Order: sequence, then C-alpha cells, then structure tokens
Amino acid sequence: MESRYLGLAYLAPYIIGLLVFTMIPFLGSLYLSFTDYNLINAPVWSGLANFTDLTTDRTFKRSLNVTLLYVFLTVPIKLAFALLIAVILNYRLRAIGFFRTAYYVPSILGGSIAVAVLWRYIFADAGLVNLVLTSIGLEPVNWFGDPVNALFTITLLRTWQFGSAMVIFLAALQAVDKSLYEAAAIEGAGKWASFWHITLPLITPVIFFNLIMQMVQAFQEFNGPYVITGGGPLKSTYLLPLYIYDEAFKNFNMGYASAIAWVLFIIIMVLTVVAFWSSKKWVYYAGDKRS
Amino acid sequence: MRRMATPIVTGLLGALLATTAQAENLRMSWWGGDARHAQTQAALDYCGPKLGHTVAAEFTGWSGHQERITTQIAGRTEADIMQINWPWLPLFSADGSGFVDLRAHADVLDLSQFSDAQLAGGEMNGVLNGIPVSTTGRVYMFNKTTFDKAGLAVPTTWDEVIAAAPVLREKLGADVYPFEAAGLNAIFLVSMAVTQATGKDLIDPATNTVAWTPEELLEGIRFYQSLVEAGAIRDWRQVAGEGNIELFEMRAWAEGKIAGTYEWDSAYAKYADPLGASQELVPVKMLQIDGAVTEATYAKPSMLFSISRNSKAPKAAAEVINCLLNDPEAIEILSDSRGVPASKVAFDRLSEKDLINPNVAAANGIVLAGTGPVVSSFNEHPRVREAFADYLENIAYGQISAEDAAEGIIDDINRALRQFQ
Repeated sequence: MESRYLGLAYLAPYIIGLLVFTMIPFLGSLYLSFTDYNLINAPVWSGLANFTDLTTDRTFKRSLNVTLLYVFLTVPIKLAFALLIAVILNYRLRAIGFFRTAYYVPSILGGSIAVAVLWRYIFADAGLVNLVLTSIGLEPVNWFGDPVNALFTITLLRTWQFGSAMVIFLAALQAVDKSLYEAAAIEGAGKWASFWHITLPLITPVIFFNLIMQMVQAFQEFNGPYVITGGGPLKSTYLLPLYIYDEAFKNFNMGYASAIAWVLFIIIMVLTVVAFWSSKKWVYYAGDKRS
Repeated sequence: MRRMATPIVTGLLGALLATTAQAENLRMSWWGGDARHAQTQAALDYCGPKLGHTVAAEFTGWSGHQERITTQIAGRTEADIMQINWPWLPLFSADGSGFVDLRAHADVLDLSQFSDAQLAGGEMNGVLNGIPVSTTGRVYMFNKTTFDKAGLAVPTTWDEVIAAAPVLREKLGADVYPFEAAGLNAIFLVSMAVTQATGKDLIDPATNTVAWTPEELLEGIRFYQSLVEAGAIRDWRQVAGEGNIELFEMRAWAEGKIAGTYEWDSAYAKYADPLGASQELVPVKMLQIDGAVTEATYAKPSMLFSISRNSKAPKAAAEVINCLLNDPEAIEILSDSRGVPASKVAFDRLSEKDLINPNVAAANGIVLAGTGPVVSSFNEHPRVREAFADYLENIAYGQISAEDAAEGIIDDINRALRQFQ
C-alpha cells in the first residue's frame, strides 16, 4: 500500500465510526427536529412547529433552568476541586503514584450506572452519609426528597469525577518552569503569591481547555439524575437530556425530542463561543506579549 | 414395497416440515423480578432444545423496559418474542400491523386454550397481536408478620389502616407504617377512591375524555391527603428521600417497616421475595371508602407475548410461545411467575399439581371476583400518568392547592388525549 494511503487506512476505523455513529445521527436529528415522528410510523414534515412549541412549553423552561443551574454549579466546583487536588499531588509526597491513581479512579468509574446506584444508597435516608451525620449528633438530611439538596447531590457525583481534569492540571503544573518560582522566591514571594501570579496565569490555557470540556460534559449529564432521582423531586434534577429521553422514548415524540436536542446543542455552542471570546482577556499563551 | 415407502416417507417429512419450523436462533425479551427471570430462563432451556431452537434471553427490571423496547422497535432490532404490557399495544400497533398476527400461526400455537374474551384483549384492529399470559389487577397486600407483631389483624377497611398507624408506631417504632403510596401508587389510590365514589373510570370510553368532574377528583385527592395526615402512609417527600427506587427494593419494605402496598397480583413474588421466609405477605379484598358504589377493581389483561413483525422466524417464535404457555413441563417450570396463567391447560396443570402459590391464587381470585367499570388503557398512557403524577407531587410539596390540581389534572389529561377524541 502506498504510504499516502497508509495513514488513511489507520484513520479509517475512527472516521467510519465518526460518520456512522456521530455525523449521520447528528444530521438525522436535525432533519427529525422539523418533523412529527413517533418512532413507529414514517416522519411527517412539520416545519418549525416543534421549535415554536418549545416557546410555550413549561417543562422545557423548567428543565432548561435546572440544566443551566446545574452546569454553572458543577463546572466551577469541579474545576476548583480538580486544581486543588492537582496542586497537592504536585508535591513530592511518599507514595505519590498511588495517590494519583487513587484520585483518578473515580473519573473512570464515575459515569457508570453502578456508581450512580451506589450514590443512591450512600445518600438515601438510611444511607451512609446520614448514618455518619447522626453518629456525630447531627440531624439526618433528606438528600433526595428536598429539591435543593437533590440537585446538590447530583452535582457532588459529577464533582467526584474530577480525575480527568485533575490529571490534565497536574501535567500543566509540572510543565511550569521551576526557575520562575526560584526567581520569585528570591524576590520574597510566598507560596500563595507564587501560585496566584505565576502558576495560575501559566496554566490558564489548560483551565480554558478543562472549562470547555467540563461544560460540554455537564450539559449532557444523564446517568446521575436518571438513576438517582429520576429527575425529581418537583423536576429539580430534570436536566434537558432526561427530558429529551422521556419525549423520545416514553412519549414517542422523537421530532420534538430532536428539536430540544438541537436547542441544547445551540446553547452549548453559544457558551463555547462566549468562552473563546472571553479567553482573549484571561488566557495567556507562551510568548504572549501582554503585561 | 420400496417404491411405496419412499413417497410415504417423503410425504410424512413434508407434512412435518409444513407444521414445524426449522432450527432457528431466536431472542426473547421480558421484564420482571429475579424469580421470573430464573423461571423463564429455565423454561427456555427446556423449550429451546425440545423444539430444536436456541432462544437467547434478554431480561430487565420494569423500570426502563418500555424505553428499551421502543428503541429496539424503532431500530428494528427487537427480540423475536417480546413480553408486552397491555397498554403498549395501541402505542406500538395502533392499526394491528405492529406485531405478527398470531392467528396466522394457529397451526403451532394452540389458541383454543384461551377464551374469546382473553384473546380480544390482545387484539388491535381485529389482529391478534398478543396472547394474554394472565389477567391481572391491582390488589392490596399487607405484611401479616408486621401486623402480628403489633397484635393487630390485617386491615380489611381503610378505617383499620388508619387506626393501625399509631399502634404500629407505638409498638414497633416511629418509622413503621401500615401502607405506602407515593408516585404511581398515589395515582392508583386517588383513582380508586374516585371510582369507588362515582362508579366511573377516569376515562369516558365514549369520548376518550376525563369522566370525572373536578369536584369528584378533589374528593379522591382529599382521601389520599387524609391518609398522609393520619400517618398511614409516608408523605411524598419522605419517599423521595429513598431515591429513585421501587418499594420492593427499599430496606424499609424488606424489614417490614412498610407493611402494605397496592400492587399487581402478578407482582406478588416480587414483593414477597425480599421479605424472606420469616415474613408473610397476604393479599386482602378491596378496601373501600365510605359510601362506595363499586369496589373499583383495576383489572386488565396482564402482559402479552407478541412476535416481532421483523422476526425472520415467526413460526419458530410461535412454537416457543406455545411451549411456554401450553406445554405441561414448561407450565410447571414457569409456574405462577407471571401470575395465574390465562391458558386453561396451564391453569389446570398448576392447580392439579398444587403449584400456584396460595397467596398468588388468592390475589388473582380477588381481581377476578372484583367489581368496577371497565378500565380504559388510556389510564396508563404516559401523558396521562405524567399529568396526574406532576400535580399530585406539587400538592405534596405545597406548590399548588388540591382544588387547582384537580382542575389541572383534568385539563392536562383532556389535552393529552385530544388526538384520540
């Protein structure tokens, strides 16, 4: 095989997978969003009807608000926590390899149904968390039955999966030039000042990368609320992916579900563009001339 | 002689092949609890080799099964044999073309074991889309052991349920309740109360609109609220605190701290199994509100066995269904894992061998002997359920008054059913 085709051959499995499992469903959902499609019979073209219906759909508005709240809560908390742990693991500690692995493991397991089920038992009324609280003399908390607590519990599950963001932060921290810290120390800078004025600016590209990745993932959260709370109580954890799922597979309204999915996609795109636009003001790359 | 033997043998083989499917690889999907999973797999292990087919089992719990089936049907990847819930028939096969016509395979599927009324329950547009496995209905079940411990008899009236609440709390602990009804069971309980008071099902079959007035529905909601206020059932917020799990999965149920429920008779094993051998779950006759004009028994064809219209081997699938429902050996293996069987031969066989759990038989007997209006399948339409559940939850959390909820439920259900009116 000619060498120019060899690269394509290596890429083929990925490209075929991308086309079959991502691009075709992606474009298919765009078409379906303009149709009335009940999954059993052929789709019927309905123009913009699904999108105009969204403007008066109370459940959609409620779900959108909950989703935005969830994303704006989860992403900063998770990034801050991942960075904190990365900074700690950047020190030369005994058995540091073990701790790095141990902290990374939840991000591998965290999205699974099994862990969501475990989470449900941990935070149940008679679960481990309430057992600990009562053993130290505190009142048990109704984690899933209270709308505010329920969203917080789901947020915690996502935050617990900080491993992948943490590993990326760790790599970035290790790439910071040590001579900068030495120079700062000579000038009398303490650890906090060094972190604030040297570390943080130099890892802003990685913070930016993690921000985008985590935001996109958070908008697509499904397993946690589906398994743990079923979207309740009072739809306080009824994120848009759950609404899409219910419309598509419970109410046989695939056209409407596709329209919601596209609105969600547009929201993610807009926020990503805003993040890119704002990055000019706070992300510093090597060789940046800004003072 | 030899000349004559050849055509005779060929003829016999031809006749055999005409009525017997070739060896096929089939798939069968169902939902259920552990007991049903184990017994169905064992029955397939018997029927498959006997018929010369292999049958791969695909089973899940109830939660999410409809979505799974929907996805598979949309993608034409559904199993050859499917356990279908009765209210799903109009969703998947409004004109009768969604599943194989089982009458086309009557040569291998013995339909004579089912009454015309039973078969009618599996028809859509005159096409036999599903064969009823059993007739089911909602039945009250109480943990007799818990009531015994408190020195109480199992309740037979709502007054006794309410009176039991403080006694159970005092004698067995503050977290012990005689009954549980949140989510779906709250809907059933409200519906039961209104139907008992009015004699009307939720849906008027003539118009496919809500048959109840807001005032009638309000009384049903108030009945439910009175049970919460009396401490006979946990409030919605408490139940939600357990997370998104079913009652039989809850520790409180397994420990006998929730001592009653309103469930399908065919689900008896699902609720009895977690209690273990040390506790006894007993079905009781329909509890009635004061002034009830009917028992309001919620009876319907239970699950059906259907064959995928995309199946490459519908005849083989029909053979397997016939084996599961009518073969003496398979009948004994499956026993009452799907309730009391609808098939005459299965019922006779299990009765003769004393293989029907007396409690399952008693629960089914209560359903079959119960009175009440015919239940519309629209009671279980997803939009109807959603409207009902959302408003009841909002009442429980103090977001809306019972009066406004009654109006809202009726408006939303009528809106949801507009396409069928």
